[in-house]
This record gives sequence, C-alpha cells and structure tokens, in this order.
Amino acid sequence: MPLTDLKSVPEPVVQTAELIGHLDEVFESGFGRLSSANLQTLASLAASFAGTPLAEPLDAAIAGLGRSEFVDRHFAVIAGARAAAHGAMHDALVAQASAALGRPRAELEALANTPGQAAPPRAAVLLESVRQWLMELAIAGFANLEVGALLPFQATLDAIMAEPALVRHAALLSGFLDELLTVFPAHGKPEVPRLRWVDLWTRSMVLSLAPPAPAATREVKGELRVFATDLRQHDHVVSLVAFGALHEAGKPARVVRTSVSAFKVDVLQGDDLAGLLNEVGGKLLEAIAGGQGLKISGMLLHATGDLVWQEARAEVLPAKLKLAEEAAAVLTSPTALRPSARPEDRHPAVVEELVWLPGDGYAAVGKEARELSLGGQPFPVAFERWPSSDDLVAADIAGSKGLVALLRFDGGRWSLQPVMIDKGKPVPRMVGTGLQAGRGKAKGGNLATLKERAGKLLRKKS
Amino acid sequence: MLPRARKVQKVPFVELYAGRLQGVVSSGSDEERVYVSYFEAGTGNFYCSTNNNRPCGGLRGSPCKHLIELINEGVLQYGPARVIAYLGLQQAEPDKVKTGAELVRFIKGGPHKVEAGMVFSRFLTYLQYVSVAPTGVPLPDMAWFVR
Repeated sequence: MPLTDLKSVPEPVVQTAELIGHLDEVFESGFGRLSSANLQTLASLAASFAGTPLAEPLDAAIAGLGRSEFVDRHFAVIAGARAAAHGAMHDALVAQASAALGRPRAELEALANTPGQAAPPRAAVLLESVRQWLMELAIAGFANLEVGALLPFQATLDAIMAEPALVRHAALLSGFLDELLTVFPAHGKPEVPRLRWVDLWTRSMVLSLAPPAPAATREVKGELRVFATDLRQHDHVVSLVAFGALHEAGKPARVVRTSVSAFKVDVLQGDDLAGLLNEVGGKLLEAIAGGQGLKISGMLLHATGDLVWQEARAEVLPAKLKLAEEAAAVLTSPTALRPSARPEDRHPAVVEELVWLPGDGYAAVGKEARELSLGGQPFPVAFERWPSSDDLVAADIAGSKGLVALLRFDGGRWSLQPVMIDKGKPVPRMVGTGLQAGRGKAKGGNLATLKERAGKLLRKKS
Repeated sequence: MLPRARKVQKVPFVELYAGRLQGVVSSGSDEERVYVSYFEAGTGNFYCSTNNNRPCGGLRGSPCKHLIELINEGVLQYGPARVIAYLGLQQAEPDKVKTGAELVRFIKGGPHKVEAGMVFSRFLTYLQYVSVAPTGVPLPDMAWFVR
C-alpha cells in the first residue's frame, strides 16, 4: 500500500487551486468595485470553463457583474463555477488516492428515488434571504465588511433554525456567521482567512440555490460495528461522526458513516456534549464506549453511505467486539460502496478516505508524532485535527498495534488523521469513548442550567 | 476526561459582540432577577441595569460587582488576549493578566446607558440554540469545522 506515492499532487489540481486563488482576491476586495485586474481574473475564469455547460451562464454573469448588475443569479453562477472547480479537484485527488491505495474509487449507491416530504414553502423565502445576504457580502468584499451588514442576518438565521427542513443550512450558516463576528468589528486592517471564507460563502450559496429535495434512501437491516469516530464542532453545533462496518444479510460487509449532532452554545463543552448528544444518540454513545455492535432495523441509508441515525431503530448488542480486526477486515480491500460526497458537496476539504495501518507498518516520528514513518518514509499527520479531549491523543501512536486514519488533503498536501488507535485493550482509543461516562455527570452542569433558563424565558417571551 | 468550560451559574451569558463585551449576570440576592451589563470597545463606556432597565445600585461612576463578574467570566471564556484586543485596551499585557478584574483599571470610560433589551434579546437568541432538537441526519458541511 504505497501511501508514499502521495508525496506529489497532480498538476491540474495545483493549477485549479491557483485559478481559484485569483478569483478569491475579487471576493476580498468586493464585486462592488471591480478593478481591471479583477475583470481579467473573471475573464480567465470564464475561459477555463469554455465548452462546459457553465460557459454560457458564466459569460452572462461576468458581463452582468461588469455592468454592476447586482442580482443573486449572477453570484449563484460564480458560486457554481467555483464549486465545480473544487469538485474537479476533489475527483482528481480521490482518483490519485484510490490508485495509491489500490482500491476502486468510492461510488454513490444506485437508489431509486424515494417519496419524501418536500420542504415547506417558507424554506424558499428564507433561502432567498440567505442568497441576498451572501450577495451583500460579495459586493462589499470580505476586507470591507461592516458589523452592521452582519448583525441583521441573525434574525434570518433564527428563522432557519426553527425550520427542521433547513437543519443543514442552520449548521453551516451559524458557523460561518460566528467566524465573521470573531473578526468584525475589526480594529485596523482585518485578518481575513480568504480561502476559507470564500469556501464557506460558496458552500452556503450552493446549498441555498433551491430548497432541499427529498433524498433517495433505502431501509437497511443488519448489524453496525463502529470502529472509528471524529468530533466536529463550532460554537453552535457539535457533530459526532461514526464510521463502521455494516453487515447486511446476503451482502458483503461495507463501510458506512453515521452522525449525531446537536445545536449548542460556546460554553457547552466536555461532559455537556454527552448530555446534548445523548438525547439523539445515547445508544450510539453506549456502543462506542463499550466496543459493542448495534442491531439496526429500518434505518435509512443515503447513496453516499450516510446512515440516518434513529435511536428507536437501534439496539445495543451485548457482545464485545474485536474492533481492530473488524476495521482491518473491511478496510484492507474495501468495495466501491463506502462513504463519499454528493457531486455538489465535493471539495478537497471533504476528502476522507479511511485506511487501516497494521502495527508493523508505521512508527511515530518524534514525541509529538507530527509525522508517521511508513516503511522508513515520512508521511504528515493532520496534527491540527487531534481532538481536545484525551480519549485519543498523539502519544497513543507509540506502541500501538494498528490504527485507522482518514486520509485527508489540506493545505495543498496529503496527511493522515488517526481516528482509532488499537492499544491491545478491549476498547480501542477513539473520540467519544469518554462521552458515555459524561452522560450522568452532565446533570446540574451548564447544560441543565441553560435549559432551565431557556424553559422559563423562552416561554415567557412567546 | 474532557476539557471543562466556565460555569454558567453566576454569569449565564457573556459574549464579544458588535463592539461590546456584554452579558447577563444573575443577582446575588434575588433568584428571579438578572442584570444586563456591558463594556464598550474603544470608548471604554459601561453600564449595568436590570432587564427592566432599572439602573444597578452599585454603579457609581465605576464598574459595579456585576460588571466585574462579567469581565472575569469574559476572560475565562475568551482568554485575556482576545478580550484585551476586542476592547482595545492597548496598555494591558495579555501575558500578565490572570483575571478580568485586573483589566478594569485600563477601562477609561464611564457609565453610559444602553437599552437592556438589546443585550437581553441576544441572551434569548443564545438560549434558543439549546432549545433546537438534536438530529441524526447527515450534516456533511460540519466537515468544514475542525476543532
């Protein structure tokens, strides 16, 4: 498994990143005052889409923006083009990684459209408000934002949070607004993380183009064995993502991904997260902490290999599993049906290819393990992704008997993010194993205090 | 063990927002009463009142005990460096500051009334987040938030 083949990055990926970098300069200074250099950048963007379905709309949008026609459809096209460029980078990187790992590229499972509830009419109006706000940000430019342009969006966001069909939007937009408000109002020249903010802007715009349509899913029945986890959070949302092997009768075992998420506020951390997640995924937490399997029946699986977690359809099984063996078995030569991203969500930042490294295949380099030595060749560790909890730490790598990592592409290079480390103990090291213990402790903590206040005050208000 | 944030019992809400360090402080004597307090960046002005806009009795030209509690919790939550930078307290040295109370001497403004409702409605928005139902649906965009 020559992961070390991933030292170089395909040339088209590098060139596309450069093109996007120039486009992002326009977002920093703003579409409201396009310089001749900005117009040239937009023209070269249009040129690189020549012969694609986006060519004509892009020409029209750029011409319109050049005439200061500030309408959301022009910005939607720019967002679409930028997302498409990142999608192409994603696909090229996944192809490179799959070749290096000697496995087929992940595919979306072919599923028949399932009838589901369409988003309520209100969703369309809220998303129009989102596009309007995003357009204002782009016209002003990220370097020139005024806090007065940011604060009114909170009211729209409140309404989005109250609409269950828009939960994805609420999670993304609350995180984006948090980051903008961390920098603004700025004293002097603001520090703008340009690439990141334009990425979040683009994601928000693409996600807000139309109300979410019901996704194609199928019901699954079988046993889920979670062998790796990742905790993702910003001030207002926490999401525990679990990767596991799904055993269905008459089918080869495959890798799936599931998640439980909760809205929160900044002071809710540590044990309080257990209290938040317990409500929606108590059985999942229990199985993770105990190294046990889950019998599931009638849960919905998306084409991307994402399982919609439903507590009522899960049952924790008593047997303790050998999760390292489980991971090794399903990850050594995985099928094409494994977690992936929908075309509109693709971006190098969402590449997460699961790999199993046997204990004799790697060694930690240095005390901090900023690199792994793979058969003598150094390979970067995604150091910034170690969780802040101590149920998975860099020191666990030394003397371990095997590990599961997510192969990631960030900052222009490949790296490995360990998400499960086998220390030869019954339960492997992974994020979330400590949360189970926190479920009881959370009583009387910050969560309970704030919930009590919310119960009193929000009732009074309405 | 996981890291533990500050306790919210005394100061349920503190934030750096719209150019102010602002928040809600529980009354020491009356369980039902809360104080709404703020420090403004730049001017160094501050104020403290009940959420019904009754001025705090402790506010006599200098910050009252609620304001001290607010800035203490603000420093716990955001760290001295961020609070100092946000409020524009150029004279303060982040490395030497242990509690928010030590920052009060750098605050040059005086009492300046704002409507408590402005801050209080932020508190209600804040509480709304803990009232939204958790979910088991995939949230692929959370992959963007690494911490």
